[in-house]
Amino acid sequence: MKDDELDRILSEKQNLVPSSAFVRNVMDAVRREASLPAPIPFPWKRALPGLVLCVLALAAMCVASFRRSGPQPLHEAPGPSFWTAIWTGLSSDLIGLLRAANVGGLGWIILALVLTFASITLSLRLTGRRS
Amino acid sequence: MQPALAWIGRTYGGARVSASDDQADVERVLAGNVDAFENIVRRWQSPLINLAYRFCRDHGRAEDLAQEAFLRAYRALGQWRKDAVFSTWLFALATNLYRSELRRIPAGIVSIDDVTEPKDPRAEDGVLDAEDRDRTIRRAVFTLPAKYREALDLFYFHEMDVPAAAQSLSLPEGTVKARLFRGRELLRGKLKESV
Repeated sequence: MKDDELDRILSEKQNLVPSSAFVRNVMDAVRREASLPAPIPFPWKRALPGLVLCVLALAAMCVASFRRSGPQPLHEAPGPSFWTAIWTGLSSDLIGLLRAANVGGLGWIILALVLTFASITLSLRLTGRRS
Repeated sequence: MQPALAWIGRTYGGARVSASDDQADVERVLAGNVDAFENIVRRWQSPLINLAYRFCRDHGRAEDLAQEAFLRAYRALGQWRKDAVFSTWLFALATNLYRSELRRIPAGIVSIDDVTEPKDPRAEDGVLDAEDRDRTIRRAVFTLPAKYREALDLFYFHEMDVPAAAQSLSLPEGTVKARLFRGRELLRGKLKESV
C-alpha cells in the first residue's frame, strides 16, 4: 500500500459532535473547582530551618556512629563497609536507647511528652494557628 | 503555514477564530472571570473530543477525557506562557493526559484477527471493498504499539504536520519521524495479506 493512500485514509476525520451537555458539564466542574478555597501552600520558609536541623542531626549521628566503629588494624582482614559500619553504629545506638528506656522509664516518658508537645506546637505554628 | 500554528484561524468545525480570542479569554479567566472559560471550551471541545477519540475509540470515554483535559487546563491556565500558541499548549496538555490515562486504563484491545476479517458480505475472494478496507486500516492502527500509534494519531490529527505532532507529544521531530516511519512499516506488515 502506498503512503499517499495510507495518508488519505488515516487523515479522514471522524468529526464527532460533542453531546449537548458537554459544555455545561465542563463548566460545572470548573465552577466547582473555582469555588474551592485555594490550597494552603506548604510553608517552606518556616519549615526549612527544621529540615536543615534534621539533616544535620542525621549527618552528625552517621559520622559519630562511623567514628565509634573505630579504625581497623592494618593486619586484620578487611573490615565492614562504610554503610555496614553506619548501620552497626546506629543499631547499637538504638539498642542503647531502648535499654536506657527500660532502666530509667520515667525520664524517657517525660522526654517523649516534651517532644510530642514540641511537635504539636511547631505544627500549629507552621499552619498559622496558635493554641 | 506555520506548523505549530495549525489551529490558528479556524477550529475543527471550520468556524473562524483568532489566537487573540484565546488570549483574551485566558486573561479574563485569570482576572477572576470563570465564565470566560466557557468560550474556550466551546471553541476547543470538538478538537479535544476528536483527539481523545483517536486514542480510545469510544465516544463516551472521549468526552470524559476531554472534560478532564479542560479541567486540568483551567487549573494550569496560569502556567501557559504566551510565547507558545494557546492551542499548542492545550493539545500538549490533553495529549499528555490521554496518553497517561490510556496507559492506566487501556482501551478495548482489538486483535489483528478481528481487524482483518471481512465483515461485508459483498466482499468476495478475500478482497474487501474500499469502505471495509479503510475501516480495517483505521482499526489496524489501534493494534500498533502505543508509541507508534500515538505518533500516527497525532500526525494525522494535526493534518500531517510533524512539528505540531512533535509539540503535542513533547518529543523531538526526528523521533516522531522515526516513529511514523516504523509505524507505517508495521501497519503495512499487518495489512499485507488482507488489503
